[in-house]
Amino acid sequence: MSAVAPPRPSRTRTRLVASVVCVVVVVAFWSVDINWARLGNLPSEIVRYLWLMFSAPDWSKLGEALYQTWRSVEMAWVGTVFGIIIATPLSFLAAKGFGPPPVQAALRGVFAVIRAVPEIIIAIIILSVTGLTPLTGALALAVGGIGTLGKWGFESIDGVPRGPIEAVRAAGGSTSQVLRWGVWPSASPEFLSFWLYRFEINVRASAVLGLIGVGGIGDMLTSYTQYRQWGVVGMLLIVVVIVTIALDAISGAIRRRITEGAPVHDLER
Amino acid sequence: MTQHTAEVGAVAPASAPWSIRMRDVSVRYPNGVVALKSISMDIEPGEMVSVVGLSGSGKSSLIRTINGLVPITSGQLTVGGHSLAEAKGRELRRLRGEVGMIFQGFNLAGRTSVLNNVLVGRLAHTPTWRTLLGLHTAADKQIAFDALERVGILAKAWDRASSLSGGQQQRVAIARALSQEPHLVLADEPVASLDPPTAHAVMRDLRRINTELGITVLTNLHLVDLAREYGTRLIGLRAGEVVYDGSVDDATDAVFEEIYGRSIRAEDVLDR
Amino acid sequence: MTVPEPAFALAPERKKAASATPPPRPAGRWKPWLAFGVIAVITAVTLSPQVGIAFSFDAIVRNWQNGAAKIVQLLQPDWSFFPRTIPPMLETLEMAVIATAVSTVIALPLSLWAARLTNPNWVGRGLVRVILNVVRAVPELLYAAILVAMVGVGALPGILALVLFNVGIIVKLVSEAIESNDAGPLEAGRAAGGTQAQINRAVALPDVWPSFVNQVLYVLELNVRSGTVLGLVGAGGIGLLIDAVRTYFRYDQLSVIILEVLVVVILLELVSSAIRKRLV
Repeated sequence: MSAVAPPRPSRTRTRLVASVVCVVVVVAFWSVDINWARLGNLPSEIVRYLWLMFSAPDWSKLGEALYQTWRSVEMAWVGTVFGIIIATPLSFLAAKGFGPPPVQAALRGVFAVIRAVPEIIIAIIILSVTGLTPLTGALALAVGGIGTLGKWGFESIDGVPRGPIEAVRAAGGSTSQVLRWGVWPSASPEFLSFWLYRFEINVRASAVLGLIGVGGIGDMLTSYTQYRQWGVVGMLLIVVVIVTIALDAISGAIRRRITEGAPVHDLER
Repeated sequence: MTQHTAEVGAVAPASAPWSIRMRDVSVRYPNGVVALKSISMDIEPGEMVSVVGLSGSGKSSLIRTINGLVPITSGQLTVGGHSLAEAKGRELRRLRGEVGMIFQGFNLAGRTSVLNNVLVGRLAHTPTWRTLLGLHTAADKQIAFDALERVGILAKAWDRASSLSGGQQQRVAIARALSQEPHLVLADEPVASLDPPTAHAVMRDLRRINTELGITVLTNLHLVDLAREYGTRLIGLRAGEVVYDGSVDDATDAVFEEIYGRSIRAEDVLDR
Repeated sequence: MTVPEPAFALAPERKKAASATPPPRPAGRWKPWLAFGVIAVITAVTLSPQVGIAFSFDAIVRNWQNGAAKIVQLLQPDWSFFPRTIPPMLETLEMAVIATAVSTVIALPLSLWAARLTNPNWVGRGLVRVILNVVRAVPELLYAAILVAMVGVGALPGILALVLFNVGIIVKLVSEAIESNDAGPLEAGRAAGGTQAQINRAVALPDVWPSFVNQVLYVLELNVRSGTVLGLVGAGGIGLLIDAVRTYFRYDQLSVIILEVLVVVILLELVSSAIRKRLV
């Protein structure tokens, strides 16, 4: 038996997409200004530097490192709290059925624009007013947070079941009562969850903000990288990794408890 | 038992069908559950066997044991003269490559084409580098097309597997097993997810594999009428033990009640 | 809201119900207040002048004049600067594309390696997961700062930093997608006698492909966004220019760059969300 295969459907579109992707990648490789010869001894260089950093981490600077870590985490925390305070009312206004439609559209546009700008650029703008202080970092994270928190917020409110909202309206509730008794009970677990998630993002971003000199662990790391004190850099990296993973673990555990656990009613208020 | 399979098998260019010999085979899962208790049986080449039992009776473990997906805890199991207890790695994979398997849930990769799914049946006969590069030989593709034609869905070869109906998906799964050019086909509740007419069509496909190609076929079923209609031999399992082994013709309702440990209900038959 | 008082008058038997003793409140009502208190205390500490960020309105008021001038400048983009931003912007895009391509190639096998369904060997799986968790904990800009000190300024350290970060993200998200897929098709591959590598290629890969492409697009977006600032530490792209104009406080030029970044990022987001809609 020898079955005759049906004709294969045309794959022109797949091929077209694949070739466009290939062309873009090849053009990027071809046009980028890199001395590819340097790539040859890169592996051995990286091994050498990893050895410099981690064979004997310099623990004598641990105290300062922990202090700077605390400053970074502070920035992240204050940035998150300010972000929440500003973004939550805005996200209510941007949700369907609460704010006037033009305000809704404008706020959604603002959120999108903020999300497109890296926090570090926001910090550069803000530092003209506040100077090179951790406050600048915190404010930059707060503004950056408005973009993400605002978006997640109105998406979450849009997803709230309409039934309870109508029930509160039917009972003669005002808009703020609708929000408190119709929206908040269903939306609050999600809100709490992404507030924590934003804190996790801010912990990472606060380390980065140090690069422009607002203080914190990133500041210290760039300084010692420039001094080429690799032992200290290694120690700092270890601190960053441990602190980030630990905070992620704590925040992740709380988030899981909120989204999965029965004790949602505990946190409802 | 009518041995019509032998002469048809000789006509069709199929490889010799395999026997199954089990001696005191027990299976205990790591969690302590004993699925099979000291089972002994012989299934001859070219037989069409129905294995019946309630869910949890061990029939699914039995079928998975025969191609090594479930390791045996004690006893001896030879399939086509190869001992399964000793087979490991490459040897075990080669053995599995000779045994086709059909699942209740079809187990197709839904997002790729029907042809690619059927070609999964050629894995054991293909060098790994060829699979990784997605370079199938023309011979393998021809085997896949032949298998698809045998189950009547060659026209769907280029469709996405998930776009097919349940019955069509199970036929693709049968074609996948056939493309292995198997000596033995194992089917684990092949029609439990299908509506009655489709279920009969799939069972007829399995019977044709047995009669036209002479391949040994072992089918798990929980439906009394299907087991009677499509098998020649019936094996009844209850709580991991063989409680009936004989011709289908002798399997009266009383026999099924003995196997199930209760009276036969409407849910035990397909065509009610 | 006012309670409809007349209802009680009209239905005297309800009065009994109204005076019924309510069941005791469930325990644990204090927990949210405790959580709120903890949050308030941490916030107060972080804002206190001694150990915290020192939120001072004084400084803001003092700097306000200066800041207002800067913001006015920001609102008057210097469009003559625009042509000079094009080559570094292109470099940012090139870096993003190269980093995405390289990390795609590295992340695909690692994703299969990191999921239980596609790698039954828990030692290898655990190793990949631990290493990638560590790698993900450090932001790409810090990698870039260190890599610049190692291999010198230019696009190369930037690309390397992006690749490190991308691989971490793609492998995490894609291996989670693999775990959520049905194990049945893989069992069929095993029953047919395939090796794990063959099963992964022939069965697991087609099923996870859309989510893989999705993550690659996501990473491309991230790369363009963070590629714009890598230059701040000398790792190539438009960030070098941002660093230069901010050193000279040319906020009129900075605003051109920011607008350009905005346009590029939002355009890319539109394109990639259009592509995503076609993935099933």
